[in-house]
Amino acid sequence: MIYAGIDAGSRSIKAVLFDTSRLQILASGLADQGVEQERLATELFEKLLRDAGLERSQISGVVATGYGRNAIRFADTTITEITCHARGVHQLAPDARTIIEIGGQDSKVIVLEAGGRVRDFAMNDRCAAGTGRFLEMVATRLDMNWEKLSALAQQSTKPAIISNMCVVFAETEIIGLLASGQPLPDVVAGVQNSIATRVAALAGRFISPPVCFTGGVALQSGMARALEEVLACPVRVAPQPQFTGALGAALSAKPANKNGDGGL
Amino acid sequence: MNPAPRKLNLDEWDERYEQLCRDGLREPGYGGSLRRHVVHEKDFRLEQLQFDNSAAALRLWNFLLTENARLHQARARGDKIVGTMKDLGTVPVMAYSLPGVRAFYPDGAWWTPCLMECSDKLLQQAEAMGIDASFCPVRAMLPAFENGEHFPKPDLLICSTGAVCDDFSAIAQRLEHRGHSILWWEMPRRRAPAANEISCALPGNLTAPKIQVDCVRTELQRVGQALGELAGKTLDDDCLAAGIRAANQVRQLLNSLRQTVYSAPAAPLPALEMLVAEMLAIHFCSDHEETIAVLDGLLAEAQARVEQNQFVISADAVRIFWVNPVADLRAMNLLEELGGRICGSDYMFTHALDLIPENLPPLEALARIALADPMVGPTADRAARIVRDCLANRAEAVVVSRIPGASHCAREGEIIREIVRQQIGIPVIELEIPPVCDAMLPTLGSRLQALLETARARRL
Repeated sequence: MIYAGIDAGSRSIKAVLFDTSRLQILASGLADQGVEQERLATELFEKLLRDAGLERSQISGVVATGYGRNAIRFADTTITEITCHARGVHQLAPDARTIIEIGGQDSKVIVLEAGGRVRDFAMNDRCAAGTGRFLEMVATRLDMNWEKLSALAQQSTKPAIISNMCVVFAETEIIGLLASGQPLPDVVAGVQNSIATRVAALAGRFISPPVCFTGGVALQSGMARALEEVLACPVRVAPQPQFTGALGAALSAKPANKNGDGGL
Repeated sequence: MNPAPRKLNLDEWDERYEQLCRDGLREPGYGGSLRRHVVHEKDFRLEQLQFDNSAAALRLWNFLLTENARLHQARARGDKIVGTMKDLGTVPVMAYSLPGVRAFYPDGAWWTPCLMECSDKLLQQAEAMGIDASFCPVRAMLPAFENGEHFPKPDLLICSTGAVCDDFSAIAQRLEHRGHSILWWEMPRRRAPAANEISCALPGNLTAPKIQVDCVRTELQRVGQALGELAGKTLDDDCLAAGIRAANQVRQLLNSLRQTVYSAPAAPLPALEMLVAEMLAIHFCSDHEETIAVLDGLLAEAQARVEQNQFVISADAVRIFWVNPVADLRAMNLLEELGGRICGSDYMFTHALDLIPENLPPLEALARIALADPMVGPTADRAARIVRDCLANRAEAVVVSRIPGASHCAREGEIIREIVRQQIGIPVIELEIPPVCDAMLPTLGSRLQALLETARARRL
């Protein structure tokens, strides 16, 4: 049977079609988030159906997750990102005990029990400094795309120290660093370290290895390394990290459709 | 016949009130419809809240929302008004031991910006007085003292200092600098007795060195003297002992209410009404006798509902232990809307729920209860009580709500989380809830929902 998961995040919408019989992702895709969340999600969902050569009637259930999940009215039910990322990561990396998810607008640390059940979690609710928004601001300021930013960080030899905890003031700091001739790669790597430090503070002392890194920011080269340094343990990037939430939603759709209880 | 328990919005309460009046509702002098607090007092937040539909809950809300008016009436009758600040529940016991003295809690103004949805501009005025948003919303108290639009200016202001909230000390100092004279009394930081020290047992399974108890007792003696001078009557041991018995009557009622509601298979009363009721332990909402009547009514309602197997929240709701009071009352409704219920609480004044020992000299007993304040000791002590209460009430998860700007313990949430996780392994989240949380409702809802999902998954 085929299930769909829609992760309506703050910056982008991700969708996955998953075949539970073959344990296989049939299609996945991503679209920029916007005001008309449901229309954007519907268009993405229909595109995935076309890509996979499927009809809507062949989808046995749809679960929406993410910040905008309640706007996705064609979903059978909604489940939070915590549960969905846990299910998605457990499917891809069953031995993972801690998930670090850094998204566009927030970051989360999720601790799993053996079997993938969520034991506890923490979410950043204070500022953008521990989220992808910080990197986005830097990309905009430097007028470069996400991929180039990532490549640039790889060239750093001595990451800059970004001392400000506020993204708005950190921007001023970054301008100052660049004006003083600090190499660009070092500034970008400094921003990555700053995000990693914020996430480590969020994690506190409840990191249990193996640690799996997921969310769109995990695609940034250097972020996993920055996390490894502050957490002092190996950090593994999930396969297709931007889709783990949507995958978890699709996996949750099966029991949700059967039991009508949100798959929990 | 009483209708089935349910929660009503303000419009529904208008109809319910009319029905209750037709049915012969008898109300105290402060009674009336809830709507009038919006119309006359600009308590706009009530329009966003859900209330229990019982007459007992109506009485509770009217009692809470008429406190300022009742204080003004008491002043007009010649009562002496005492503002007791920071200390949560000890000095009011002393004040109410004297005839013609009414204590209130100016700190309570911290809910005014929430209730009035900031239309009162108290927070902005506090900023203009140099106390900005980096301080706890208790700062609303500062302009409330000056504009006279809320509570009457007290005849005596008493504030504890030392091992209490830094924010509050700063705000109270600013108040004093603006000409409001304050009687300060010192509260030492509670610590465990050293091996060579005489130890005293405190309520709540705590201990402290005798030297600390002696210190607090001496301080309270000074406070008692000032109260006696204000009342024109010596606050002797007999007066105090009677005051302690009266306070214990409230505490016993509250403990029965908490036990009835939190141990029931489903919640017979909503979280919001329980929060307001528990707050009565601190200061009796300026009327000790009426507090007893209000709590009697709530307890009878809760017991009747349990007996009739009628509940306001479903039995399937996730059992949540809630730590710290919320700056926006809406948050308590939100938890229940998402499928949670409160099964235990630590709203920062658990010591005010413990019985004051009646077998000790009165000032000694009050000193011991004051030292048992969770705010004056290590957070680990507080966490230990939370763990005990979570186990006793079968909590499935813990919410530690943060008060924006409050700085009584920066690491409080982390410490509680760590200890709860180690000892009982249930999930804990921290939420920061501002005085009006509307803009944050999706985020708060998402976090609470994630917690409830996690707790439900653990049932399997």
